[in-house]
Amino acid sequence: MTNRPRYVPLAPDPCARAHLLVADHHGIDGAAFAPGHALADFPERWDIVAHALVLPEPFGGPGVQHFRSSSHLLSLLRHRLAAETMGLRLYAVGSEPFVWDVARVAIDAGMGREEFHLFATGRPVRRVSCVHCRTINPGVTTTLIVCAGCGVTLGVRDHFSRMHNAWMGVQCDAEAPGELPAIEDLSA
Amino acid sequence: MMDNQTLTLVVAGASLVAPGLRRVHLVAADGSRLPPAAPGAHITLTLPGRIRNSYTLVSADPERGYELIVRRSDRSRGGSQHIHDQLAIGDVVAATLPHNLFALHSQAKKHLLIGGGIGVTPMIAFLARLRETSARFELHQIAGQTETETFTRLLAPRAGERIHVHAGRSTFDLTALLAAQPLGTHVYTCGPAGLMDGVEAAAAALGWPGSHVHREDFGAAGGEPFLLRLASSGIDIAVAGDQTMLEAIEAAGVDTPSLCRGGACGVCVLPVREGTPEHRDHYLSEAERSAGCLVMPCVSRSRSATLVLDL
Repeated sequence: MTNRPRYVPLAPDPCARAHLLVADHHGIDGAAFAPGHALADFPERWDIVAHALVLPEPFGGPGVQHFRSSSHLLSLLRHRLAAETMGLRLYAVGSEPFVWDVARVAIDAGMGREEFHLFATGRPVRRVSCVHCRTINPGVTTTLIVCAGCGVTLGVRDHFSRMHNAWMGVQCDAEAPGELPAIEDLSA
Repeated sequence: MMDNQTLTLVVAGASLVAPGLRRVHLVAADGSRLPPAAPGAHITLTLPGRIRNSYTLVSADPERGYELIVRRSDRSRGGSQHIHDQLAIGDVVAATLPHNLFALHSQAKKHLLIGGGIGVTPMIAFLARLRETSARFELHQIAGQTETETFTRLLAPRAGERIHVHAGRSTFDLTALLAAQPLGTHVYTCGPAGLMDGVEAAAAALGWPGSHVHREDFGAAGGEPFLLRLASSGIDIAVAGDQTMLEAIEAAGVDTPSLCRGGACGVCVLPVREGTPEHRDHYLSEAERSAGCLVMPCVSRSRSATLVLDL
């Protein structure tokens, strides 16, 4: 059983009044777009260029804006959405944790599931939540990890919480201490 | 006095709130608590002559009872005329449990309410709840020239700068209103089909997703009479011009499920074997309509002289 999210390549929603594409990197791969579509179909986009000289203007109108980090982008996205009117569609491209962070900002702004579209790219990296101590372990690429919070060995379940933006990690040797299953690579 | 399906209610009070608008207060016949209902819910009353009409609950309190406001309609099948002319305090009425196909969306950042005429009834219920929860809202009620005062008075105990009563649609700029709504707004409309279609079309043109647009339909009854053939039961039924297909089926003693009786819920949908339905519901998709294999007998009729159903 898995509830692994499935991502559909992006295309601008023809019903929308306006579109905003956000990405956690620069130079988005063409695979993120549906056949017949490309980056140029999204004239207003926000991306991340980690440089001290980056100075975005989130209300500056259509065009490309650069941000210093994903937290920088997400916090200005909150302000932008708070000032938006109905008819906007939001698109997010990037790592799985990033696109679901964007989803959270969209949901908090009152956007419904039809109003934002996500596409996770790059090497699969999981954000894992320990069910025992609630610690979030970022950057997980294997089925077994040591929880940074409580130190137990967590088995990473194939269960993703869209609410918490994290995969479920459960102590895998609780019944038989020390008996660990074989470790597998999740990033393949 | 209550089973799974029906409530036995008694008229505890009735008054004319304006010419042609009667407020009816119903309580449980045995004095028990009534099931609670969220704003936007309706009940279906069984009235003499096998007429079953759905009415929105203007207020619903398990202890105090249910309140309806019914407009007298001379063109209707007689339900509203009965409520206005015959229904008296102490009369017993059978009703369904409350059903809600027009609920407020819990995640909405703002609620935009657009009522037309007697479509004010769910708006009154919404207002009470939105006030209680301090939710962000805006109400636009459209009234005929002669009724502006009536609707202002109806909404008066809840008046405020967020409530606007417009005399007719010409003074009301729907597109400008919808264009100015913040992200996360849900719009709720109840009133004449033309108004609700207008709200849906204007919202869609501005890029509103369908899930943020809510409408409450009253069944548009009446039309040309036609012959209905129930293929499996082997029954021919003449559907009169002032009768719905569903009522005709029920009058013939055939049991078929139904819920809202207003073309919204989809419970009564039936398979079509032959003939061309005239779709009046808001449940079937365009694809389902053009396939012509399904019909909603509560509101839809027939374009062909005979309609054959698999029933």
